[in-house]
Amino acid sequence: MFSTLLTFIIQFIVAAVATIGFAFIFNAPRKEMALCGLTGAIGWLVYYISFYCADFNPVAASLIATGILTIFARIFAVKRQNPVTIYLMTGIFPLVPGAGIYYTAYYLISGDRAAFAAKGTETLEIAIAIVFGIIFGTAIPQVLFHKLFGKRA
Amino acid sequence: MTPMKLQTKDILTFAVELGLTMLESGAEIFRIEESIIRILQAYEIKHFDVYVLSNGIFASANEDADDACSLVRHMPKNSVNLGRIADLNQLSREICDRKIDLEEGWKRLKAIRVQDTYSNKVLILSCAIGSGCFCYLFGGSPLDSIFAFILGALEEFLLIQMNRARFSRSIAQIFGSMFVTAGSFLTSFLAGLALQRDKIIIGAIMILVPGIMFTTAIRDIYNGDYLSGAIHLLDALLTALCIAAGVVIMIFLFQHFGMEVAL
Repeated sequence: MFSTLLTFIIQFIVAAVATIGFAFIFNAPRKEMALCGLTGAIGWLVYYISFYCADFNPVAASLIATGILTIFARIFAVKRQNPVTIYLMTGIFPLVPGAGIYYTAYYLISGDRAAFAAKGTETLEIAIAIVFGIIFGTAIPQVLFHKLFGKRA
Repeated sequence: MTPMKLQTKDILTFAVELGLTMLESGAEIFRIEESIIRILQAYEIKHFDVYVLSNGIFASANEDADDACSLVRHMPKNSVNLGRIADLNQLSREICDRKIDLEEGWKRLKAIRVQDTYSNKVLILSCAIGSGCFCYLFGGSPLDSIFAFILGALEEFLLIQMNRARFSRSIAQIFGSMFVTAGSFLTSFLAGLALQRDKIIIGAIMILVPGIMFTTAIRDIYNGDYLSGAIHLLDALLTALCIAAGVVIMIFLFQHFGMEVAL
């Protein structure tokens, strides 16, 4: 139990640091770094828990994680009166299927057609899951966020 | 309201230039259109049309009046700059609330345009940290992460140099992913350690993966800007293909010269 919790904490922190690292490359404002990292870490932790603990497949886990991280990105955007893109674009980093792209390319060149097709399809499916995750997260009316988290009505 | 009668041209030029800078920094189409329209409305221009594409802006205002004006701006290349998007958002909000006038607005806009980005040292270090951390997240051991850290730093240095030498983006991406693949395979051969080469590569190619472009594409399409969304999507797809091409080329070369390339 304790070791599971420790794993979660480590994953959370590493994901936050990774997101902040890449946020620098895209010149995110210094003041917003912590929230960018937090968005990325939340998304990754949700993905991690749904994948390793709740036994969802990577596609479903990506969908859930992207949806939740989009909601958090929007909360931060309203709270800090910044465009949501800042948190969303950086927070999505841990979830984009970089591994999928690599393995697809790898199996292509090593001649394993079956694995290539499987990985390629999975990468595409994860990309589509991210699309729907963002769409579901975006579909919640902005008014609601302003009411719950906004500084002014 | 207005202290002095402003020409339509002055207002429209400012609004479009602000929009153009947002476009250059990689903002969403919807947000750019909204910012331009808000500024025009704040200055009580009633008849206008604004159309923003992923690499250009078309706008006209007061076409039936004496001081009719229309503008076209082309923006051939962009690089994502989130800080600038945040600053421009703030600026356009202040302009709309009439807290500052156009003259002050121009000053601020020019200052935002030349604002410093993070220094190369910071970029290299942060890419290294990001690569190392992602390697760990995707199942690499701490030792793998150290190698991903080193490769990430060298890779960002290479990317900065290629950007400075005006390499096309696709070529830079292919070279970047070739470099990472080669680096990971060679270090694991030379160091003679039990490294997970695939995890190191994945950690280090994360910076090339088109997450931002993809997110922009989705949000554009969601907002109904299908054309710009499709262009961004194509861009993201092309980047993914370039990364894959880099990996494929490098592994092909290794295979050709008889190296062991199992995962």
